[in-house]
Amino acid sequence: MMKKYKLIFIVFVFMTVLGGCAEQKILERLSLATLIGYDGGEGENITATAIIRQVNPEFESNVETLSATARTSKGTREQVSAQVSKKVTVGQLRVVLFGEELATAGIRQSIYTLLMNPEISNGIYLGVVEGEAKPFLEYQYENITDISQHIFNLLEHNIERENSISSTLHEIGRDYYSPTRQIVMPIIKRKENVIEITGVAFFRSEYMVGRLPAKDIFYVKMIRDGFEKGTFELVLDGENFESVSTGETPEELAIALDAIKTKKTIKLIDQNTPEYDLNFKISVRLTEIDASIHTGDKKTLEMLEKEINKKMESELSRIIQFTQEIDSDVFGFGEHYESRVSDSNLTHEELAEMYSNMKVNVQVKSEIIRDGVFGME
Amino acid sequence: MKSMNSINSNHKINAFLIVAIISSNQVGVGVMGFQQQLYQNAKQDAWISVIISFVLAHLAVFIMIKTLEIYETNDIYEINQDIFGKLIGNLLNVLYITYCGSIFFLILKTYIEVINTWVFYNLSPWFLSATLLLLLIYAFTGNLKVIVGVSFFSFVITFIWLFSLIPPLEYAEVQYLLPVFQNNFSDILKGTYSMTFTIVGFEIINIIYPYIKDKKKVNRYAHIGLLGTLLIYFPILLVSLMYFSGEQLSKTIWATLTMLSIVRLPFIERIDIFMICFGVVIILPNLCLYAWAVYRGVNSMIKISLSAFIWSFSALMFILTLFVQTLTQLNDISRIFTHVGFFAVFVFPFFLYFLALIKRKFRKTQVIQ
Repeated sequence: MMKKYKLIFIVFVFMTVLGGCAEQKILERLSLATLIGYDGGEGENITATAIIRQVNPEFESNVETLSATARTSKGTREQVSAQVSKKVTVGQLRVVLFGEELATAGIRQSIYTLLMNPEISNGIYLGVVEGEAKPFLEYQYENITDISQHIFNLLEHNIERENSISSTLHEIGRDYYSPTRQIVMPIIKRKENVIEITGVAFFRSEYMVGRLPAKDIFYVKMIRDGFEKGTFELVLDGENFESVSTGETPEELAIALDAIKTKKTIKLIDQNTPEYDLNFKISVRLTEIDASIHTGDKKTLEMLEKEINKKMESELSRIIQFTQEIDSDVFGFGEHYESRVSDSNLTHEELAEMYSNMKVNVQVKSEIIRDGVFGME
Repeated sequence: MKSMNSINSNHKINAFLIVAIISSNQVGVGVMGFQQQLYQNAKQDAWISVIISFVLAHLAVFIMIKTLEIYETNDIYEINQDIFGKLIGNLLNVLYITYCGSIFFLILKTYIEVINTWVFYNLSPWFLSATLLLLLIYAFTGNLKVIVGVSFFSFVITFIWLFSLIPPLEYAEVQYLLPVFQNNFSDILKGTYSMTFTIVGFEIINIIYPYIKDKKKVNRYAHIGLLGTLLIYFPILLVSLMYFSGEQLSKTIWATLTMLSIVRLPFIERIDIFMICFGVVIILPNLCLYAWAVYRGVNSMIKISLSAFIWSFSALMFILTLFVQTLTQLNDISRIFTHVGFFAVFVFPFFLYFLALIKRKFRKTQVIQ
């Protein structure tokens, strides 16, 4: 009996030792692709630009930018492989960027490939680069040592702070495969030696069809997911405040608000048009306002709230109208319609076409809960 | 009929352990990706399919236990021999053994497939199957008590899956569950049917029953075990339905794992990989219990020692895993065994109960005469 257990033990030891040889992934012997940018090349080809990080035994990691052109993304990987001294892996991939040209030509294949690869986490961020991705990534930024980490952090903290729409691979895949909801992605751009989020790209199916500047991201996000902690700025008409102003009111009254609580409700009121009521109830903290406005007064606050409502309603309507013009239902109104109207015989395509004729009534009810530590009486 | 191999009371187990045995045997590799087929059939009403399949399972378990209660000390193999006679009974037993062996094979092979697609792409399958089978042999030679211990451990640990559902909830869209009841009832039933391979496992009661100390409590604990399984499958399904959009889910092969890949913890980058490795704990009781079922079946016909059986059985399984190489082959086999499993678990027990009742009546009248 003892003999047999010894045998099992020996076999086990052999198995484990041999098992270790199965597939080595030693950090020092790997090239980690941490960011990949895709551009549309000539014809059917795609150009991939990869940021590759190599960890050295001396704990100094160096970052290289390499690019290759091939028919498939695996093909580009092989070509990149031929340019580096260590095996390329994509397990640490954090961000994938698309050149504007490729985004306009369609990103279906890229999304599919990314979703198919089990090495790649569904939590990676996707984005669009204004212009081409290759020069954007190859540029020598003065203060940025690792561009991939930098872009990842840039996207992550902005998404977390609700300054940017979230564009994880999962969400892109979800919206792409939903016939009645379209993709949105942040647009980034190089500005001298700084990388910044400059806008939001709207897609119809796999094609990028429109964009809005960065200051509108907030509203896109607000309609899409609601918001919890975002800070935003509004420019109100100064004239309306003359009666409550103590000094000279500026023509344009800029205020800054900090959201505390929001509630978004969406209601289908007419199935045929279709018509929607989109209501927001927001509680905000007033963080900045012109010194001449005396916020201690109840009447002033009420007036302020009214103006905020009006301003936000018009901005939100403008955004919705814009997406209707480019026919990109990024807010999932079609999806909502499908989930509420069970007896509709509309196909997904018909429903998607209906979007441009939908009517959306936006209503905002804001409430200023408090302001800072100075000013209110 | 007196049991041929009466069981030493030392080998008997407490009735409450049935909860762990049934639940751990049900939760297997299916938990990693049962959503795809289910969704393809029942769409957003898939959760109704799951509830229906569990209602059926409760019914089947109830009938199984009723049948076993008629005999008290016998397992299904001896019941078959008693009802159908030596020849047909043994033929049925061989079929049942083949069924258990095939499920064993499918679990083993599917798990290897998961490891090969997600973690080690180039690691040869034979190495993985050899490792898992050695682990099985190690547990199995410890007799039923060790197997039950493994089940209990696995049962407790399985609930970790539920915690891993919390981060994906952030992306959940409740409206994907609406509208309810939009699909035909027949589609929902098809979904229930496709759950078969996922839900089977409770039929182990047919084999374990003679080993239980307090037989009166079996019924209660068996049903609690089923509820335990529902408590794992139902939340996973519900979250997946809300997390993925329709077509995305019908294209995602291992939905639970894909869902987990978005979770990023400070100390573990990819929790899905962790959960796959963790899967050994989840499939080990399945392997052990099905091997035990095969062992009892073989033992009812030919006397064979425990270790001789498990070594030869493992060797057979090892050779069989070498023949199935691609995912399509595996899918074909599992499609066939959905039908077989449905018959073995949801149809045959009712049939058997009916015959057992007739037989008992017949015997009683004989005694009176």
